[in-house]
Amino acid sequence: MENPRFPKCFKISSKPHKFCPGCGYGIILKNLGWVIDELEIQKEIILLTDIGCNLLSWDFFDFPTAQTHHGRTVSTAVGFKMANPQKTVVCLIGDGGGYAIGLQNLIHACLRNSPITVILVNNTNYGMTGGQFAPTTVDKQITDSTPFGKDPKILGKTFKGPELLKGIAWEKAYIARGSTLKPEILKNYFKIALESQKRGDFSFVEVISACPLNWETDAKETLERLEKLEEFFSQGELK
Amino acid sequence: MKKFAMGNEILAQAAFDAGAKIMFGYPITPTTEVLSTWIKLAEKSGRKYLQTEDEMAAGFGVCGAVLAGVPAFTATAGPGTILMQDPLVMAEALRLPFVVFIGQRGGPSTGQVVYSQQEVNLAIYGGNNEGLRIVYSSSGLQDLYTYGIKAFNVAWKYRFPTILLYDGYQGKMKGVVEIPDKKLKEVKTEPILTKNMRNTYNLEEELAEEVLKAKDEFEKNSKELIEYEEFQTEKAEVLIFAHGIVSSAVKEAVKSLRKKKIPIGLFRPITLSPFPIKKAALVLQKAKQIIVFESSLGQFSRIIKEKIYWVNIPLVEVFKPGVGFTPEEIEKTVLSLLT
Amino acid sequence: MKILLTGEGGQGVQVAGEILALAAFFENKKVSLIPNFGVEQRGGVSLVFLEIGENGYPKFDQADILAIFCDRAIERIKKHIGKDTKIILGPAVISKKIPGVSNLFRVEGGNLPAKVWNILVLKEIIRLTKIVKIETLKKALEKKFKEKFKENPEIKRINLKALE
Repeated sequence: MENPRFPKCFKISSKPHKFCPGCGYGIILKNLGWVIDELEIQKEIILLTDIGCNLLSWDFFDFPTAQTHHGRTVSTAVGFKMANPQKTVVCLIGDGGGYAIGLQNLIHACLRNSPITVILVNNTNYGMTGGQFAPTTVDKQITDSTPFGKDPKILGKTFKGPELLKGIAWEKAYIARGSTLKPEILKNYFKIALESQKRGDFSFVEVISACPLNWETDAKETLERLEKLEEFFSQGELK
Repeated sequence: MKKFAMGNEILAQAAFDAGAKIMFGYPITPTTEVLSTWIKLAEKSGRKYLQTEDEMAAGFGVCGAVLAGVPAFTATAGPGTILMQDPLVMAEALRLPFVVFIGQRGGPSTGQVVYSQQEVNLAIYGGNNEGLRIVYSSSGLQDLYTYGIKAFNVAWKYRFPTILLYDGYQGKMKGVVEIPDKKLKEVKTEPILTKNMRNTYNLEEELAEEVLKAKDEFEKNSKELIEYEEFQTEKAEVLIFAHGIVSSAVKEAVKSLRKKKIPIGLFRPITLSPFPIKKAALVLQKAKQIIVFESSLGQFSRIIKEKIYWVNIPLVEVFKPGVGFTPEEIEKTVLSLLT
Repeated sequence: MKILLTGEGGQGVQVAGEILALAAFFENKKVSLIPNFGVEQRGGVSLVFLEIGENGYPKFDQADILAIFCDRAIERIKKHIGKDTKIILGPAVISKKIPGVSNLFRVEGGNLPAKVWNILVLKEIIRLTKIVKIETLKKALEKKFKEKFKENPEIKRINLKALE
C-alpha cells in the first residue's frame, strides 16, 4: 500500500534507506521528492550523484539516477544537459565533491550559466570516509584529520560556496542556502531552483546538514550544532 | 573524392560523418586541430561543442552526453591522457560508448609534443581497470578516417570505451585521403541512463560478478572485433611486429628487404585490444625470428610477449622511446641483426 | 622524391612545405608531409619532411633535396645529407659552404622582401627537380593564401613576383 507521506517518485524497494540515523539526507531527499511530485517532472528528471554519502541515493528514486565520480558530477551533468536539454538534470554532491575536488567544475558551470541544478549537502566533513575535514569545516572543529582542531592558518579559511558563486553567477542564476532544520523553506528553495533550470539558468542550493555519526553528537547536540552552523553559514537566497 | 588534409582534420571529419553530435575537448598538442576543425564543422550544421576547463571535465562531459543517448567524443594526448583515465574507467564500469582519439606524444610528464608510441599502456590499462577497452592503432591518414568512423559504430554496438590510438606524426601529417562521396549512415544510438545505475558496490563478490560478466562479453565479441594486417608474410622466416605509423615505415623496409631476397614480413595488429592472438601465432608457425620495432621502451612488446608466451622463437626488441623510425634505418637494423 | 625543408619558426618553412605538397596533390601525385617543430612560436626549430610520388611514410634519413633557410639549421640536418643530396641555401643563409658537400645551390633574395624568400626556395626546388609545374605551384599558392590575397593585394603581388 502506498504510504501517502512518501513522495510518489520514491522507489519503495530501496526503503528503508541506507543513510545513518540522524543524517540530513533523509530530510533533503524527501523534500526534493515532494517538489518533484508537485512539479510533476518525474518523467523528465535525471539525478546524478557524486561519490560520498550522496552515492547512497543511487536507487532512492524511481527515475534515472547514476553515480558518477568524485568531483565529476557537475561535468557529467553539463554534458548530459547539452545532449538532451529537455531533461531536468539535478546534481547531488557533498562539500568535498563540490568545494574541493570538484570546485573547478562547479565554478565553470556557474560561469557558463549551465542550466543544471546543483544541490550541495554541507555537513562540514567527509562523511563516508570517516569524517575528515572538508573545505567547510569550521575553525577549531575536531575531525578525523584535524584531531587537535582545524587550524585555518595551516588549512585555510572555512569555504563559503554560495558567496563565491554569487560573485560570478549570471543575473538570473539562482543561489540559495538552506538547512535541514527548516525543511519547509528548503523545499521552496528546491522548487525555485528547478524552475530556474526550466528558464535556462544555473541553480545552486547548499544545504546545511547533520552528520551525527562523525560529529559524535547525540540528538540534542546535533540540533544545537545545526543551529550554530545556520548562524555561521548565512541562510537565505543570495541570488 | 580525394582530399588533401591534416590528420587531425580528418579525425574531426570522421567523427562528423559517423554521426557524432558533440565534442568536448581541452586543447593539447598534438591534437588541438581536432577541436578547432570540429568547431567549424559543428557551427555550420547545428552540432555542439564545448571547450572544458580540463580533460576530466571533457571526458565526463562525454559520459553525460552518451548517458543521454547522444554520440559524443573527445581527443587528448600525453598528460591529458592521464587525466582522461578518470572518465574512462567510469565508462568502462557503466559500459558507456565513450570515444576518444589519443594522439601520442613523448613522455613521461610534459615530455615533447611531437610523437611517441608511449601511451599504449594508458590506452588499454591506464585506469584501475582490467583492460576492457577497444583500442585501434592507426597507421596513416586513411586509417584515421576509417577507424575514426568505426570507433563510434563499435562503441555503440558493443558498449566498451573505444580508443583510436594515433600519434603526433599522424595528427600533423598532411596528405591525400579518400572521403566517400555518399553520406554515411549515422551510428545508431539510444538513451542509456533510463534506470538506476551505479559504479560503487558493497561487497567484493558483487563487483566481481559485474566485471566477469563484462569480461565474458568482451571475449565473446573479440572474434568480430579483432583486426590485423599481414604484409608479405608468405614464407617469411623473420617476422617484424609493429603497430601504428611505425608499421608504415616497416612496410617500406620490408619491400626493400624482399628485393634483396630476405624472407621477411610484417605482422601488424590493428586492434591492440583485443589482441589478434590466434593470427599472430599462426603467422609465426614457420618463423625463425621475431623483431619488434616500437617508439617506446616496450609497451607494445610486453603485450606481444604476454599474448603469445608459448611461441618458442627468439625475439629481438628495437626500442626508441618517443623517436620515429625511418624505413632506411629499419632496413639497416634488420640486416645487421640477421648477419 | 624525398624533400626536406628546414629553418626557424617564422621563416615560412611549414607554409612552403604545404604549398609544395598541395601542388603535388593538384597534379594527382601521391604526397604526404610531416612537420617537426618545437614549442616556441617564433625562433626554434622548424622542419618539414615531404615525400612526393611514392609511399605513405614521409620521414626519411637521406633527402634527395634539402633546402636550408638559416645557418642555425645546418647542424641539425647533417644526418640527412647523402652523397646524392642536392642542397639549396636560402637567401638568409650566410654560410657559403658546408663541409664535405658539393651539390650546393644558392638562392639570392634580390630585391624581394624576406617574407617571400621561402617562395624563392620553392622556385629553385622546381627548377632542380621539375617535381611539379610552376603553374601548379602558383595555383597552390593562391589556394593557400586565398583569404590573405583577398585582403591585401600587395601580398599577392609580391608572392607571385617571387615565382616569376
